[in-house]
Amino acid sequence: MDNAINQTLPVEEETPWRLPSIRKVAMICLITTETALFTIFVVAYLFYIGKSLNGPYPYEVLHFPWWASAALFGSSGTIMIAEHYLKKGKHGLFNLWWFITIALGTYFLGFTAYEWYVLIYKEGLTISTNVFGSTFYSLVGLHASHVIVGLFLLTIILISSFRKKIDHEHHEHVEMISWYWHFVDAIWVVVLLVVYVLSMNY
Amino acid sequence: MAHDPHSHSDENSVELPTPTAWPLITAFGIFLLFFGLVTTVVISLLGLLCATIGGIGWFSDVFPHPKHEPFPIRPKDQWPQPISPEGRSVSHLHVGEHGHREQYPAAAHPYAAGFVGGILGALVMAAIACAWGVLVDKSIWYPINLLAAVGVPSLAAADVETLKVFSMVGLVVAVITHFTTAVLVGLLYTVILPMLPAKREWIWGGIIIPIIWTGLMWATLGLISPAMNAKIEWLPFLLSQLGFGLVCGLYVARSVRISTQRTWSVAARLGVEAQHPGEK
Amino acid sequence: MAHGTTTAPSEDFVITPVRPGEEKGTWSSWIQDLFFTVDHKKLGLMYIAVGLFFFVIAGLMAAAIRIQLAIPNNDFLHPDVYNRFFTMHGTAMVFLVGMPIIFGFANYLVPIMIGARDMAFPRMNAFGFWITFFSGILLYMSYFTAPSLYNAGSAPDVGWFAYSPLTAKAFSTGHSTDYWTLSILMGGIGSVATSINIIVTTICMRCKGMTLGRMPLFVWTWLVVAFLVVIAIPPLSACQIMLTLDRYLGATFFDTQAGGSAILWQHFFWIFGHPEVYILILPGFAIMNEVIPVFSRKPIFGYPVMVGATVMIAFISLGVWAHHMFTVGMTSLGNSFFAISTMLVAVPTGIKLFNWIGTMYGGKIRFELPMMFSIGFLFQFLIAGLTGVMLAVAPFDWQLHDSYFVVAHFHYVLIGGLLYAIFAGIYHWYPKAFGRLMDKKLGLWHFWLFTIGFHLTFFPQHIAGFWGMPRRIYTYEAGRGWEEMNLISSVGVVFQAIGILLFVVNLLYSLKKGKVAGDDPWDAWTLEWATTSPPADYNFEKEPVVRSRRPLWDLKHPKDPDWKYE
Ligand SMILES: [Cu+2]
Repeated sequence: MDNAINQTLPVEEETPWRLPSIRKVAMICLITTETALFTIFVVAYLFYIGKSLNGPYPYEVLHFPWWASAALFGSSGTIMIAEHYLKKGKHGLFNLWWFITIALGTYFLGFTAYEWYVLIYKEGLTISTNVFGSTFYSLVGLHASHVIVGLFLLTIILISSFRKKIDHEHHEHVEMISWYWHFVDAIWVVVLLVVYVLSMNY
Repeated sequence: MAHDPHSHSDENSVELPTPTAWPLITAFGIFLLFFGLVTTVVISLLGLLCATIGGIGWFSDVFPHPKHEPFPIRPKDQWPQPISPEGRSVSHLHVGEHGHREQYPAAAHPYAAGFVGGILGALVMAAIACAWGVLVDKSIWYPINLLAAVGVPSLAAADVETLKVFSMVGLVVAVITHFTTAVLVGLLYTVILPMLPAKREWIWGGIIIPIIWTGLMWATLGLISPAMNAKIEWLPFLLSQLGFGLVCGLYVARSVRISTQRTWSVAARLGVEAQHPGEK
Repeated sequence: MAHGTTTAPSEDFVITPVRPGEEKGTWSSWIQDLFFTVDHKKLGLMYIAVGLFFFVIAGLMAAAIRIQLAIPNNDFLHPDVYNRFFTMHGTAMVFLVGMPIIFGFANYLVPIMIGARDMAFPRMNAFGFWITFFSGILLYMSYFTAPSLYNAGSAPDVGWFAYSPLTAKAFSTGHSTDYWTLSILMGGIGSVATSINIIVTTICMRCKGMTLGRMPLFVWTWLVVAFLVVIAIPPLSACQIMLTLDRYLGATFFDTQAGGSAILWQHFFWIFGHPEVYILILPGFAIMNEVIPVFSRKPIFGYPVMVGATVMIAFISLGVWAHHMFTVGMTSLGNSFFAISTMLVAVPTGIKLFNWIGTMYGGKIRFELPMMFSIGFLFQFLIAGLTGVMLAVAPFDWQLHDSYFVVAHFHYVLIGGLLYAIFAGIYHWYPKAFGRLMDKKLGLWHFWLFTIGFHLTFFPQHIAGFWGMPRRIYTYEAGRGWEEMNLISSVGVVFQAIGILLFVVNLLYSLKKGKVAGDDPWDAWTLEWATTSPPADYNFEKEPVVRSRRPLWDLKHPKDPDWKYE
């Protein structure tokens, strides 16, 4: 007596059976669903450009965030360098570049916090001031919340690495977190374009 | 996780994920977080705490390795019953077998025949219609403009005298409509004619089908083009349709049929088998 | 495959890890099983159980609505209560009945059909279930804890699509609308998590030989549904976040006084709302794909075309949302686009119907309960589809928008279509999950009573709609010509209710008294029938290897296996 399904003729047994990586597929799905979420907020922002009934308007209060954007885009590069050293087994250099990534991300977050502080207390723009305020804070805030999650994940990896818990099987975990970080970066490209370029004249 | 390098399955057990309540606690924390938003903020804070604890617990379950434990395999007498192939018979459906209709043409005329037949038929049809126009209505442009009226609002609203005058738009629209439709009908003939129950395909394609669609047109033209319906003369219409049908039908029917290969086995279709069922 | 002489002395089987309080058969083990489980089969059954529980509650609300409408000028329900009832009925049926039950089927069947031992992320699976469950609790908590002007508790009363500006703070005071928003936001998290899990499981956990082209169509359909959930739920979450910001922080997204747009809510909601219809009905198709071939004794007709049609439906369904908004006043171009794209859905849907009929054609049809419900599905879903195409015609919709014709249309989709598929699925897989067949006699009573009741209730609503009866009215005057139709409608509910009662009785009765099913009661062909009923926690003793779309057919017909034709 044997399990029924084991009676299947073992003809194809020799051919290798490979399946995609679970983490990669999951991360692609997560990025897809996050993209859909951002799309709606971006559409809302675009829809409401120039429809505020009262000030302050974008052209009065927004300034193109050169340094913060450079920091965030740069962090995509530093995370790749860190990954490269991890693959080579150079954990010290990995820690260094990973730390630089976190620092750049934190700088970006600090910029957003400062920008919001100025907007709220100096310019008097809050989420309830006008539709610009509603869409601006929700879109930039959604992005900032993703930066926070990303920084949190990056920090966990750094702590684990200091405690020597990152071994060979975790390379893919690290890679997935860098995918997420690249995604957060890519979203910033869109936000930059929509908020700080397209709506600048309204 | 079957492909986990840390699993140590043996003959008597399989690795299954360890049961855990952390996901439940995390979900409950999120619930409290939301519930606090509609009651008091204290509950939200409690929920945040609960969700954080749940999240940390969950993280410790999956890092550095997802927790799993060996689960004993049942004794063999509780395994599924073996599947017996005894006492079974399979019947296959074959094309044409005891009343099993052929659903598709096993052989069809080449599309090229339909294309050429459609063009030829269209020429004959146009000739008949224009001849009638010249002889009876005293204008070659009348039938052309009438056809174009289906798609050109200005012609649809025009009176008979205007329709007898040359119109560039009318000519272009009429030619496109006429030849496109004719070619489509010709292509349809290549697949439909072989399925009709008669040896003389051209009788179907040449006479019966044109009569049927003339009747159909007669019944529905008022809905499609009221202008054309008010002015159309049905005798020349039928004659021109018959002209088209006879030319196109004869041309298609005379072409050599080719097998659609739908009744062949996969091997035959791929050309693996030398002898094809359709060939002798 | 070396087997036969395994040296398996029985003392090896005592390695069961017994944790304190987990001795089999005790209360504490039962609770531990419930709260701690990460097993896809248990979670699947829990999903279905929760779905059926809310189904009964939301069904009772519908019954109360029908009593209120049975005769003109009735005052069985207070108008406020009536508004809450139809809101809670709609919301619960979509988010707490439809979604959990279909996720339950997917959870139970997808891993086992592809020969896996569990989902890719078992803990996330448990999380998805619990958060869905709690979102239901949160919604119904509103009855007890939402303060309002009149009563101690006040449930949401803004309709299941909660159009703005009705949801603005000025028009919806108190917290009832917040319960609605937050509950849906929460449920969305669970739906997306579970769907990602299903996608990853399907792509990465297939057993040896289970290529994409050999997956059961149930799994294929679910792969598409899960993608649809991943894309369509975020718009819903996004607009719920915006509404929450509006209501809590005074944002002005949907506040027309402050430059916001009420129409934007409609767009965002229906960008989710229409795909949601397919998220609900495609799993019904998935069940049809498995039930119809088995009871017609033929392989499914046109497997690749079925896959293509499913993908096409999902793709088109993302571009049809504004057919819910023809009366808003769009441009002619907009109207034409959404009318045509909506009608286009009929093409792949028609392909599917024809393929199911093609599967039955020439087969040896066995009229068991799953097949009866499947045939009911085919008829009723056809009617639903045809009225759907009618409503896609913009001028027609201008006449019948928000009338009982629309109500009849989507109840034919969701009851005549989805619910019948769910019944077929439950009758089909109940013996697999519990080891016993459901009672056929009771099942036949259920089928006929419910079918008669369903058509009695919902067919006249088409006519009432034609005669101008708007949906969501609390009552109506006599002499408008709607009395007969409404009375027939309400009488039908009695039949439906008895049918459902018999179904619930059957579920419980057959648990202990049903005929023992054996491993493979329907002589079916997919992998779930290759293990015992109920399956072991690990599903398969050895990981299966398949060579065709119907692995069990290959075993049953060694001289005529499917793989010869692949
Ligand atoms: Cu729709």
